[in-house]
Amino acid sequence: MKYQPRALIAEITHRCPLHCVYCSNPTEMRRRSDELSTADWISIFQQAAEMGILQLHLTGGEPLARTDLTELVRAARAAQLYSNLITSGAGLDGGRLDELVAAGVDHIQLSFQDSQEGPANEFAGTRSHALKLRMAEIIRRRPVAFTVNMVVHRRNLDRLEEMIAFAEGTGARRLEIANVQYYGWALRNREGLLPTREQLEHSIQVVEAARERLKGKLRIEFVLPDYYAKYPKPCMNGWGHQQLLIDPSGRALPCHAAMVIPGLDFPNARERDLRWIWEESPTFNRFRDESWMPEPCRSCDRRARDFGGCRCQAFLLTGDAAATDPVCTLAPQHSIVEEILERVNGSARPDWVYRVDPA
Amino acid sequence: MSELERNRVPRLAPGCRLNPAGGAEDLLLIPEGALRLKGPARAIVELCDGQRTLAEIISELQRTYPTAQPARIETEAVALLARLRDRGVLEVA
Repeated sequence: MKYQPRALIAEITHRCPLHCVYCSNPTEMRRRSDELSTADWISIFQQAAEMGILQLHLTGGEPLARTDLTELVRAARAAQLYSNLITSGAGLDGGRLDELVAAGVDHIQLSFQDSQEGPANEFAGTRSHALKLRMAEIIRRRPVAFTVNMVVHRRNLDRLEEMIAFAEGTGARRLEIANVQYYGWALRNREGLLPTREQLEHSIQVVEAARERLKGKLRIEFVLPDYYAKYPKPCMNGWGHQQLLIDPSGRALPCHAAMVIPGLDFPNARERDLRWIWEESPTFNRFRDESWMPEPCRSCDRRARDFGGCRCQAFLLTGDAAATDPVCTLAPQHSIVEEILERVNGSARPDWVYRVDPA
Repeated sequence: MSELERNRVPRLAPGCRLNPAGGAEDLLLIPEGALRLKGPARAIVELCDGQRTLAEIISELQRTYPTAQPARIETEAVALLARLRDRGVLEVA
């Protein structure tokens, strides 16, 4: 296999009791009645392991909304996958956590919307912060890797120092500070979420100082908002290069947002085996090599490093999925991003819309 | 990057484990992905069972690899384990 898949992102449900304004789920979500069965998922995990996939990311929606989650984790472990549960904590308690740990969950990633309860509940559109704190208390006492994920944006980035101190108190060994990425619901709320340049520069200094101070205690990963980058992010480490996502209804996508790209036929894992989807399907091959690339990507010496950036972002911002990602300062359409940044760094913030739950 | 003391007992941190032996490659699975283990690295990590001290791990390796220089085994094992500890993959009691 020229491209060896390494991770399976299993979006096992779109149901979620939270309504976060920056949710990365598509705005058209899959209903409960469309969801794959337990047996479907177990078959997918087994196929994934046979293809050499190592990591399974169980995500959603809220994966705990599926009552068969423990069974899925057990099947993943039996297939020798490393399982990573990405959760808001809603639906967890000590008993369920013990079951998941016994079933073999390796790593739990718990999200927080803020260090302060008021803003956290506002961004989540639900009163979920206090519950998350209780969940951190029980997770830290279990033999499982524990990461806290904090989503940052214009409305909380100024309080980053306080948020890092908060994360230290949760007992997590890893902290992911993720700036919102502009897909799905977040794109709708972009103008209210994108930080200013000044906020961003300050946050970089805060993270550098915290990394130094917390060396050996808490590892910090920091995801920057790519709108401010000089070059685009190597999205998914390349389209169809390492990662495969299955949505709640079985559709296979090269990334979370790929549904937005028109003209792609997303194969379904109910109808096709995973190996065919990965190796043969036109969708996974569409942007895989360099033949689709326009200039300046085609002759750029960074093309094997960032792959021309993100295809979904290129489509969302320019209307052409095969354009150079306009966040790149070399992109012919970079002025689109410059105009957005000009607005964000100048004007007042607009209201936002909350994610709704699928039926 | 402090030196590892020989009477300490290392073991893999929660959520860090070796892939099953005998596969195409030796990997240490961790929350961020996987670390590829080369040469004797797997054997070294396998000895970090939360029972043996670092001194015992080194002697065990020296017995397993009698043709290698004992001092070199010690230097390499200590360097690998210190790196893993600094990454949060190994806990030292």
